[in-house]
Amino acid sequence: MTATLTQHAEGVRSPAEIRRSRVLAIVYLVLAVLVLVAFGFGSEGSATFVLSRPGDAIQVGSPTIPGSGLAFVVSAVLAFLGARQWMAGFGSRTNLVLAIGLGLVAFSFLAWAADGASFSLVGLLQEAMKRAVPITFGAVSGLLCERTGIINIGIEGMLLAGAFTGAIVGSTLGAAAGMIGAALVGGLLAVLLAVLTVKYRVDQIIAGVVINIFVLGLTSFYTSQFLVENPALNNAPIMRAFGIPILSDIPLIGPVLFDQNIFVYGMYVLVGVTSFALFRTKWGLRTRAVGEKPRAADTVGIHVFRMKYLNVIMGGLVAGFGGAYFTIGSVGRFDENMTAGRGFIGLAAMIFGRWHPVGAISAALVFGLADSLQVKLGILDTPIPSEFLAMAPYLVTIVVVAGLVGRSRPPSDYTAYVKE
Amino acid sequence: MKKHTRLIALLMALALVLAACGDGDDATEGTVAEDGGLICEVTDVGGVDDKGFNASAWAGAQRAAADFGAEPKVLESQAETDYEVNINSFVDQECDLIVTVGFLLGDATKEGANSNPDQSFTIVDFAYGEGEIENDNVKGLVFNTDEAAFLAGYLAAGVTETGVVGTFGGINIPPVTIFMDGFVRGVEHYNGIKGTDVQVLGWDPDTQEGSFTNNFESLDDGRAFAQSLVDEGADIVMPVAGPVGLGSAALANELGTFSIVGVDVDGFEADTNNSGVYLTSVLKRIDNAVFDAADDALNGEFTGELYVGTLENEGVGIAPYHDKADLVSDELAGEVDALRDDIIGGAVSVSG
Repeated sequence: MTATLTQHAEGVRSPAEIRRSRVLAIVYLVLAVLVLVAFGFGSEGSATFVLSRPGDAIQVGSPTIPGSGLAFVVSAVLAFLGARQWMAGFGSRTNLVLAIGLGLVAFSFLAWAADGASFSLVGLLQEAMKRAVPITFGAVSGLLCERTGIINIGIEGMLLAGAFTGAIVGSTLGAAAGMIGAALVGGLLAVLLAVLTVKYRVDQIIAGVVINIFVLGLTSFYTSQFLVENPALNNAPIMRAFGIPILSDIPLIGPVLFDQNIFVYGMYVLVGVTSFALFRTKWGLRTRAVGEKPRAADTVGIHVFRMKYLNVIMGGLVAGFGGAYFTIGSVGRFDENMTAGRGFIGLAAMIFGRWHPVGAISAALVFGLADSLQVKLGILDTPIPSEFLAMAPYLVTIVVVAGLVGRSRPPSDYTAYVKE
Repeated sequence: MKKHTRLIALLMALALVLAACGDGDDATEGTVAEDGGLICEVTDVGGVDDKGFNASAWAGAQRAAADFGAEPKVLESQAETDYEVNINSFVDQECDLIVTVGFLLGDATKEGANSNPDQSFTIVDFAYGEGEIENDNVKGLVFNTDEAAFLAGYLAAGVTETGVVGTFGGINIPPVTIFMDGFVRGVEHYNGIKGTDVQVLGWDPDTQEGSFTNNFESLDDGRAFAQSLVDEGADIVMPVAGPVGLGSAALANELGTFSIVGVDVDGFEADTNNSGVYLTSVLKRIDNAVFDAADDALNGEFTGELYVGTLENEGVGIAPYHDKADLVSDELAGEVDALRDDIIGGAVSVSG
């Protein structure tokens, strides 16, 4: 019903939209067949999903789900979604429906992989949440910049710089100082990016790549030359997980969402605040105006350059803080190139999330899930080689960005603004 | 505008220079720089600070160099493309011995040795077949680590309270999986003798499939993999992934609910941040093997003969239990010692 309404509101679908809708429909149908054949006929026993940890206050039972039965149901749902997609499409809910569909496939896949065994679903989801942290910070950093018309390819470098600074400052002055220091260094790199792209109108992609190479080189150099000799500087305190009273006692949801460390909570706050600020405040309106039509914004008296500097620097602060997750939020020491491409996945999450903070965190969770699934599947005896499993997060990136998002329209005009 | 172009060019040049510095030209100068010879090491991507096998080889090279007043040099490989470049760079410097660390350098070392037949090489974790090296100028250093890992597996099976232990690897290659093979077989041996049913997660010696991070760099992965094993009930985890295992140790220290079995070097001594979490370590005395090879090379007695480290020649072994000694009963400790003798004597086979 809602879908029909939306469609009326949007008017007749363009040929491109129809084509995309058809492609998606075929994807659903292929998945339906795949699930039916591979998981439906491939499972013999049942999988047990463990939903609570041994220490939880409220213990819930561990449901046992027959793999083949689940696969039949999922396959039928996918077939229905495919048909619906072919006939009418889902309008603005296309990505949401797609996410649900892929989630069902993942669930069915899990039941097949854990066939005849049990595994900890709560552990899997908890890990997915943690792994989404740097990706979300990267994505929000990216969208803060892009909403104001600057492409930030340098997120990876900012994360890495944040991780490095977090380790050194954290080791000497404590975790809190480490997080602040990491954010500041990210902000400093953002100043460089902003000066290059706004003032000197350098190609934004090149400026970002310069930042990535610069940071990788610098941190690797100082790690091998300096940190090796001074191990005390590479021993940062780790932020431990702490439960939020009452909320953390809720079965399944509690441990997954509310028994995490400060970086995960920081991620919630960040997404909430940026969503509100971008779409409900004067600052947000101006930011988007500068991104969409800088000339018009300028005409009505908005300081275009000032807005661009402000937003890019805020993006840098966010990425730098997110980078501290790798050291202060995880393992307490820095190693060369330890961000391992998470910043680029953050960019993909930003696009998949359509330049919206809530979309970004949802996309980051998909990647986080793919990442933690890979870990879990190595433990369950699946016939899939581990090298293939390790590709999972990247495979998801390619499929999502290239194939399924369709035409994603960037919100901004990325040409350098010249004031007349 | 022209001024700006120059600024950008300068910045990019600076970035590239720094990147290059980090990328492998960072030969660390040794302490002594006389004409007493030159011992050169090429690490794999784990880097010389991995508190594991690269560091162990480097310690051996340094020790040999110090004894002879020679100069030790190291080049860190940041990527697989650096192996050949680093080896060639050392060939040009006329090293007395080039130590290449790791199975992954096998091809690059073979190529370097065959195109420079007068240069002596020694490679850790690689044994070449008959005739592969034309001039026999490469000494392979391999280790029967499964013998030591077998002991660690037996020990872990005796110590575990949950009845579940786990392991994961860096990359699915023989020098990694041999640890996991031995560990699993050790647990099975314990089960066979005691009639227990201790489970090992993360590796199946029969299918040769299991849990791998597929890198030797991301410490966050080490944390995630260990967490995942702990979620499934493991209370002892053996990460065989170089520095990645340090992430697992950090988690163990934070949670305090499980122990780590270190690999290559004694984790208790190497990983001082988290020394309390190591139940034991599967030692692989790469340092001694490299020391001997360097010693021979500096004495002019270098041969291309293969070295095999075993429990018997103490090339492999397990570390003391240190802070976790309380978990190991005297009886169990005695059994492990007896098992060591049985393996050396041939009464127990570690190959399943």
